[in-house]
Amino acid sequence: MIETDVIVVGAGPAGSSAAKHAALGGAKVILIDKKSEIGSPKRCAEGVSIEGLERLGIKPNHRWITKKIEGVRIQSPDGTDIWLTEDQVKLPEAGYILERKVFDKYMAMDAARAGAEIRVKTLVTGVEKIKDGYIVETESMGKEETYKCKILIAADGPEGHVARWAGLKPAAKAKEMESGVQYEMCNVEFEKQGVIEFYLGSCAPGGYVWIFPKGEDIANVGLAVLPHKAEKTAIEYLDDFVANSPYLKNAQAVEINVGGDPVGGMTKKLYDDNIMVCGDAAGQVNPLTGGGIISGMTGGMCAGQVAAEAIKEDCSKKFLKQYDTIAHEALDHEIKRYKKVQEYLLTLSDEELDSIAHAFEDETFEKISTTEIVKKLVKISPKALLKLGKFV
Amino acid sequence: MIVKEWCSFCGECAGVCPRNLIQVREYALVFNEDDCKDCDTCVKACPINALEKED
Repeated sequence: MIETDVIVVGAGPAGSSAAKHAALGGAKVILIDKKSEIGSPKRCAEGVSIEGLERLGIKPNHRWITKKIEGVRIQSPDGTDIWLTEDQVKLPEAGYILERKVFDKYMAMDAARAGAEIRVKTLVTGVEKIKDGYIVETESMGKEETYKCKILIAADGPEGHVARWAGLKPAAKAKEMESGVQYEMCNVEFEKQGVIEFYLGSCAPGGYVWIFPKGEDIANVGLAVLPHKAEKTAIEYLDDFVANSPYLKNAQAVEINVGGDPVGGMTKKLYDDNIMVCGDAAGQVNPLTGGGIISGMTGGMCAGQVAAEAIKEDCSKKFLKQYDTIAHEALDHEIKRYKKVQEYLLTLSDEELDSIAHAFEDETFEKISTTEIVKKLVKISPKALLKLGKFV
Repeated sequence: MIVKEWCSFCGECAGVCPRNLIQVREYALVFNEDDCKDCDTCVKACPINALEKED
């Protein structure tokens, strides 16, 4: 049996962030991931905000940045475009498109450099609550190993079992789990370079189609749907979109990615005695965009910091409640508000989206931010005012 | 459950399973068929049609 202070399950951005901050706080940390290669296969469209990285204290590195985002395009079902580009407006929420396969590894390396130990290709097969912590059973290439820790951090994704084994509710109900699929493609023809594109409406029921540029003629082209709103599977919607998009007529896929995205908001219970949950496993995802890198890492940072303090003082739920408080302080603003916007968007028909887009065409924007877009929306649509009045 | 060879082990099915019966390994899905109530949620949620219910 190997004893340690903290075990983090899952070396995605959230888990690595948790492991790093727990280690920086002086805890003895082991970070476990089932995969052979951290960060692969990638699980999302790879967009992050620059400000988000800054808040996490992460310096941009050319090895994991593929493209700076210079604008946003939103297209309604009838092909009406809303362009929000840097030549017209300021971009306070500017971002990068990452190379997640590199980024995730770098985040894990940050954790290792802070002192965490890492176990790759190691599956957690079970956890058991004991008086002063958790027993964690693992398996790696046929070899079983048992660990004992005082604090267990579950960062094992939307499919993760750790929190559920511990009696905490899973991140999302089936109705709140997006079903996503994406191609990384070359030969993509962009109307404007460096613009992230969103296509709304029945091309992706319950979600949207995205084209996120990765430099040159490369882009992540994907979508997510809510299965109970969809008539086909996600891949069928995506293949239809690719077949009909003028920008993709020569595009060739070099990679396909699949996966779920929990858009139901943060889980009710983020902690219990000797355990905390963060990242996708905790629903730390912007429900509107589905983006969860920065929010998951923020949750991970909070969990890691609290874990380090808990090791010195008290690992009971009474102490770990701090994590709940600071995670909600850091993330509620974004998650709760955008949940409202997402719920509103889900009620709109293609015709309603088109009429909003037409009204938007005449609006000018001084700066781009999701808040700004929603403000305009409320101005344009009485239905939006009714549902989102409190947002602004 | 029949897991097609093109399954990518993304875990979508495990994420939506209301009874938490699917374990995702790096390159395998393990179903606890005994407790499955055939609700079909996982089959519908799979982004790439990789699950099929056995008759």
